[in-house]
Amino acid sequence: MFKYVTIFSENMRINILFGGKAGQGPNIITHILGQALVKQGYYVFYSRDYQSLIRGGHNFNVLTASDEPVYSNDFKIDIIIALDENTEKIHEKELKENGIILKGKYKNMHFAGRVFKILGLDFNLLKEELEKLSGFEDNLKEAKNGYESEEKKVRLDKTEKKELSFMNGSQGISEGAIKSGLDIYYSYPMTPATPVLSELAGKQEVENILVLELENEIAVVNAGVGSSIVGAKVMVGTSGGGFDLMTEGLSLCGGAEVPLVFYLAQRPGPSTGVATYTSQGDLKMALNAGHGEFPRMVVAPGDPMEAQELTSHAFYFSQKFKIPCIILSDKHLAESFYTIKEKPIITKSEKTTKLIRYNSYEQDETGAATESPGIINKNIADRLKKISEIEREASNFEMYEVYGNERSKNVIISWGSTKGAILDSIRDLDVCFLQIKYLEPFPKEIKKYLNGKNLILVENNSTGQLADIIREKTGVLIEDDKRILKADGRPFLADELRKEIEGRLK
Amino acid sequence: MTSINTPIMPTWCPGCYNFQILAGVKKVLNEKIKTEEDKENWAIVAGIGCHAKIFDYLNLNGINTLHGRVLPTCLGMKIANPKLNVLGFSGDGDAYAEGMEHLIHMARYNSDIKYFVHNNQVFALTTGQPTPTTEVGFKDKTTPLGVKISPINSIKLMLASGASFVARVYSDIRQIEYVFKEALKHKGFAFIEVLTPCLIFHNQNYKDKIYSLGEGGHDKYSFEEAWKKAEEFGYNAIDDKTKIPIGIFYQTEKPVFEEVVRK
Repeated sequence: MFKYVTIFSENMRINILFGGKAGQGPNIITHILGQALVKQGYYVFYSRDYQSLIRGGHNFNVLTASDEPVYSNDFKIDIIIALDENTEKIHEKELKENGIILKGKYKNMHFAGRVFKILGLDFNLLKEELEKLSGFEDNLKEAKNGYESEEKKVRLDKTEKKELSFMNGSQGISEGAIKSGLDIYYSYPMTPATPVLSELAGKQEVENILVLELENEIAVVNAGVGSSIVGAKVMVGTSGGGFDLMTEGLSLCGGAEVPLVFYLAQRPGPSTGVATYTSQGDLKMALNAGHGEFPRMVVAPGDPMEAQELTSHAFYFSQKFKIPCIILSDKHLAESFYTIKEKPIITKSEKTTKLIRYNSYEQDETGAATESPGIINKNIADRLKKISEIEREASNFEMYEVYGNERSKNVIISWGSTKGAILDSIRDLDVCFLQIKYLEPFPKEIKKYLNGKNLILVENNSTGQLADIIREKTGVLIEDDKRILKADGRPFLADELRKEIEGRLK
Repeated sequence: MTSINTPIMPTWCPGCYNFQILAGVKKVLNEKIKTEEDKENWAIVAGIGCHAKIFDYLNLNGINTLHGRVLPTCLGMKIANPKLNVLGFSGDGDAYAEGMEHLIHMARYNSDIKYFVHNNQVFALTTGQPTPTTEVGFKDKTTPLGVKISPINSIKLMLASGASFVARVYSDIRQIEYVFKEALKHKGFAFIEVLTPCLIFHNQNYKDKIYSLGEGGHDKYSFEEAWKKAEEFGYNAIDDKTKIPIGIFYQTEKPVFEEVVRK
């Protein structure tokens, strides 16, 4: 009989791939296993790779687990669960030498049973998860058959049970918004922003919030303005193309001093791009969208906990300074599940807005349109003053994070969802990792970490947009050959990224 | 004393028909608003174009918003504060060109908003280009060969979209007063188109062509009747035979958006 053992203390992490056609249910079994492992005190991360279709095609999830914190997947897979033949064909090359493939014409819960057994997990753990789903009896039968047909093949290092939460970035954004006192969320469905729409919609009765889908993103942003000026706390959500449509409204918020939080979940562009994949291609858009010059804020969480915290910052700054605030996420953060140990620190915000006279024109003190150069210049001075006040206020917050060895001569710089793969790939390397959380206002003081160092950029885009921003804000140049870029819609994988980083270390 | 006047000197052209709309609206509002507290219950939203200057001449809270976006802005205000009386003002460019999608959906939503479209059948503030309700043959510097495409019949559009209150009046203070009061009694979206000749760029005087639907015994609760009346005038050039019905074409009861979604 085939004997195979993966031990965390040797391999650190186990990677399990669940593949099949859309509709076969690879998603739900990934989630069930993830939940069960987290309950046992393991750290789990899983990502979803799915196509823009409803039935058929090839979808897969990769679940990575460890007894230490884990934030990303690897290329090399330990166990492949193939719900269809295609999965084996496509992913065989990723399987480790002694890897296991589970296949056969069975339903998904049969495979759930088998993988639980292989990992030596108690059947009751699976049963508990099945109880939360519909079709319990059928699922239980399938799962039991699967469980009994297998034997334990993998030994997981024992771990202590801890209080861990298991959530994706969309849930993080939603939690952050609710805890910040969200009144209304407006959106028009667009991947990968839609999970926040459904997450909040599912909670609207319990949390007493309104969640409304209007005719398009233009209606969404302008209804957002309407609700905000009568005193509601409002968030609007979309992805790149929808954000394009919102930009006139964004400029209106900037000019008329309307607080509004924009949730921008990136996917690859230009144009419709690749609808269900990930990207960090909209950084410069977020920083520059909207005509005219006006104050704004742009923040980028790197995991669901930061999603909660930075969403609360967005509400705080938007209310305090009556400005538009953009939360930059992406498909990888929005739809991947992370295990979180810490509790987020939520910044509470007071409502500051009431109905007075607002204007999209340059306006006088009564709210009437004006063409007077004196008033125009005063308004400009007020907006510029506000920009410096926002900068001052932001310095009270952690605008960036520093990981690893601060004195290392190697400094990795990134923002957003690449944080996970970077943290996982640098564990025992002599590097410092700088994660920028505030893109506007920008923490110029990071310059002190950059000067004279070997700078390595990691971004999910093709041009290195953050490097350009750093050049603009600090004067520091990151060389082209030190930019690790990936723009094919797929996230970085820790083992692959490690090789890329190692090749650039000094 | 509470006043809805502002000290701003209007910059509409002398004799502009927009003054009639302003006067009619003010007349009704002055009856409704006696105290500062009353005033807090009213809000005004205007778009961009000559019509929107009304925002500067009415001392009410609200927003002079983007071109074409009056209705979603009104919707957002009404949802967040259903007690607010929200008045929307648009031009024909605002309502039928830039913001057409919102107009159709507002008829469907039926939010309790009173909406005036100052239809002068021309983009006046940008110096005279054709809008979706300009007649075939109209010429200006941007269309020297003349407009080739037939105008939208906004009344039929609103009827087809499910609007619960569809009216058209001429820009005359008494007609504005009448229709505004009727609209305020209506629960739901009130669409009021005001035929507003532009003295400079589209001076089509309809005064001799209009007749009152109410005086003609029109049944405003009959959709079929309303549709027939709507077909009498297609917004094209007038001739000897042209007759333009004025008044409330159609009125019906429908669930109100903010009441339904807040349940």
